[in-house]
Amino acid sequence: MKIIIDNTEIECQEGDLLIDVMLKNSVKIPHFCYQEDLGANGNCRMCMVEIKGAKRPQIACDTFVCENLEVSTKSQNITEVKRSILELELLNHPVDCPICDQAGECKLQDYYMDYGLYDSHQNTPKTKKGKHIDLGSNVMLDQERCVLCTRCVRFTSNITKTGELGIIGRGDSARVAVAPGRELNNPYAMNVVELCPVGALTSKDFRFAQRVWFLDSTKSICHGCSRGCNIHIDYNETKYSDEKVHRFRSRRNNSINKSFLCDYGRLSYKELNNTYSGEVSKVEDLKQLLDVDKKLALASPSLSYQQLEAIKEFCQNKNIELFSLAYIDNSFGDNWLKTNDMSANFASVKELSINTNESEFLKSFENATLVINFDHKKLSDMELTNKKVVEFTSSQIKSSSELIFSFANFAHESGTLINCDGIKQQFFASKYKDKHPRLIEILEEL
Amino acid sequence: MITKIVSKNFEIPNSHTMEVALENGRYSSLKSLFEKEPQEIIETIKQSGLRGKGGGGALAGNKWQIVNDWDGTKYVVVNADESEPGTFKDRRILSLDPHLLIEGIIATCYAVSSNISYIYVRGEYEEFSDVLQAAIDEAYEKNFLGNGAKYKVDITIHRGAGAYICGEKSALLESLEGNRGHPRLKPHSPEPEFYFGEPTLVNNVETIASVPFIVQNGADAYRAYGTEKSPGTLLFAISGNINKPGVYEAEFGVSMLDYIEKIGGGVKNGKKLKAVIPGGASTPVLPAGLLKDAKLDYESLKSIGSALGTGGMIILDEDASMVKALKNLLRFYHHESCGQCTPCREGTSWSDKILDRFLAKKATKEDLNILRSVSKTMNGKTICVFAPAASGVIDGFLEHFEAEFLECIV
Repeated sequence: MKIIIDNTEIECQEGDLLIDVMLKNSVKIPHFCYQEDLGANGNCRMCMVEIKGAKRPQIACDTFVCENLEVSTKSQNITEVKRSILELELLNHPVDCPICDQAGECKLQDYYMDYGLYDSHQNTPKTKKGKHIDLGSNVMLDQERCVLCTRCVRFTSNITKTGELGIIGRGDSARVAVAPGRELNNPYAMNVVELCPVGALTSKDFRFAQRVWFLDSTKSICHGCSRGCNIHIDYNETKYSDEKVHRFRSRRNNSINKSFLCDYGRLSYKELNNTYSGEVSKVEDLKQLLDVDKKLALASPSLSYQQLEAIKEFCQNKNIELFSLAYIDNSFGDNWLKTNDMSANFASVKELSINTNESEFLKSFENATLVINFDHKKLSDMELTNKKVVEFTSSQIKSSSELIFSFANFAHESGTLINCDGIKQQFFASKYKDKHPRLIEILEEL
Repeated sequence: MITKIVSKNFEIPNSHTMEVALENGRYSSLKSLFEKEPQEIIETIKQSGLRGKGGGGALAGNKWQIVNDWDGTKYVVVNADESEPGTFKDRRILSLDPHLLIEGIIATCYAVSSNISYIYVRGEYEEFSDVLQAAIDEAYEKNFLGNGAKYKVDITIHRGAGAYICGEKSALLESLEGNRGHPRLKPHSPEPEFYFGEPTLVNNVETIASVPFIVQNGADAYRAYGTEKSPGTLLFAISGNINKPGVYEAEFGVSMLDYIEKIGGGVKNGKKLKAVIPGGASTPVLPAGLLKDAKLDYESLKSIGSALGTGGMIILDEDASMVKALKNLLRFYHHESCGQCTPCREGTSWSDKILDRFLAKKATKEDLNILRSVSKTMNGKTICVFAPAASGVIDGFLEHFEAEFLECIV
């Protein structure tokens, strides 16, 4: 069926939520409390639209489309309504954008530019509330910047069901808070920072680190476990140094992680900045080493399909026995996003029929004189005396290895991962070229 | 002029005890109740034209029918969260004739096939709640309630924690479920209220207390009082600058000025009447000049730009400062807004703060404009009717008494 929004016909299904239809069709509709994965709450009143035949303006997040629905988001009347509600949202806001980390990606700023642009009418003292309150789990709260959309509260009560956050106080003294003596404490807590449409909740890890308008962003996949949550890698070139990854943000994927990430995955961006800075060996040296008999290679199950494929081909050509072992941690997984298998791409290892049998690996390892490690994190735990070790690494390592080669990590690579449910996903390289070569390039040279 | 239906036993000493209540006809309607089928009772209530007495004035019978027709375990919730300034009628029933309320609950539960009823009592009404609890205990002893009763009804009292907004039925149910008292989004088509997802009837104390009379005497006996569209009686409360403040029951449709003069004993100290807030704090104020033909019913007051509300009249005499009166009301709205919707949360506080400037006689012309525009933003853009009520109050004062506000402008 079709409905009319601002004189344009739009295709949709009977019973769809009007705000979903609008967002899907890129119709501008301001909103704070509505979030695709948290649903509507109806408290912010920003998504008001004019509906033909209705006496009063209606909120789009509580309107279901039906036959002959005619909606206006641009009439003079509704523009005035939005402006006046926005003015109230900003009334007691401290307007401290120059020192606020949300500046640049703040909905209050965006909507003020879209619908506000009025001179302040404020002539009465502002309501004072709590500032820089440490909620725990890296989350800082500024109650004065809050618009009380309750996204964070609904996240902890409906999604994680841990219920740490609530609203206390009434009227204009209502504010988000944790119960006295309690703290925000769950493995997904930092999602509330991303869900917060304004600067009320900021991440201790990111605040005061960067202005967001200096950041570039790349579509990628979290490598923290086998779930394959979709992310944005936000990075920039820091003055006088190499480019740096500043944070991971979730990238909405309805069939995998929705709009959420676990804190472990979210903070795993730090590994990407921990690149190898030591001396790198020469390819010719490795060629010589390869002459020995009993050679073994161990590949990380978090490498991309393309990298694993290249390693497999390399090992076949040079007659090297290739293994890959999964990173299993039975204390890591839960019944939501986190999986016990902490390797990002073990499904590809299986698909490429790489040997994953641990006892066979240990047997061959005992006899091997040369071990080539493709970024596997477990090799350093093993007894390596009397063996020559060649390391291919994407991160800083301390190693007494014979040879060390460094290659670009996944922020600078594109490739394919297969997640725990068999879903194949692409990730992409950032626009800056890493100082380290890509793994496939090194292997080609060999 | 006083008509006693609900307040019949109010002046009898110890009317709250079972012994006195039984002597004076309480629980006598149960005989005629159980002679009829539940649906017949609902029809009788519909025919009587009984309207909700908590302020909205919706037809009670229709509400009962919707709950009755909905599948699920049914609940009857009595709204005794009376906290509107100027309204103090339900407390009279709770303390002076609690058995009338219990009798009404039994009839209501029987009609909509419910066995469980909650009475949500305003937190501050501790002493009335105790009286009511004692009456419920007596009713259990006498087998009017509980397993031994002819029709099983269990009544539980739940005391609120002092929020005005919990008088809004959906906020009341949220509070009863153990959540914050925030009103819920309104349904898109007619449906009952829901308590833990089950169909629930929410009625005011006085509405339920009017039921036994109708059950016993029939719809026509009730319709004999009041007007065509507002049948029956209401416990009108009168307070402010008046000689005999109190709660006096009268038929709908009596003249407001007559009520003030004859029942209320006229304005205090022989002063002239300046204005009346007709139905509790959330109805727009009416200047004396408009009251000549005003009648105490829903239609008459609506036609002159206000509302009957709960029927709690606040009388203001010629010396009253309307700026101070509005400030008093806005402080109440500022304090009681639940803070859920933006226009209400910020609008009530801003308008209250602006009134401070008027009180200090430091207001500007711009302040008056802001007050008007904030009032406009609060009207019709929120989940419940709290903000529109505040908006109506501001508009009422500015429409009729603008001159007094202009005097405060520098």
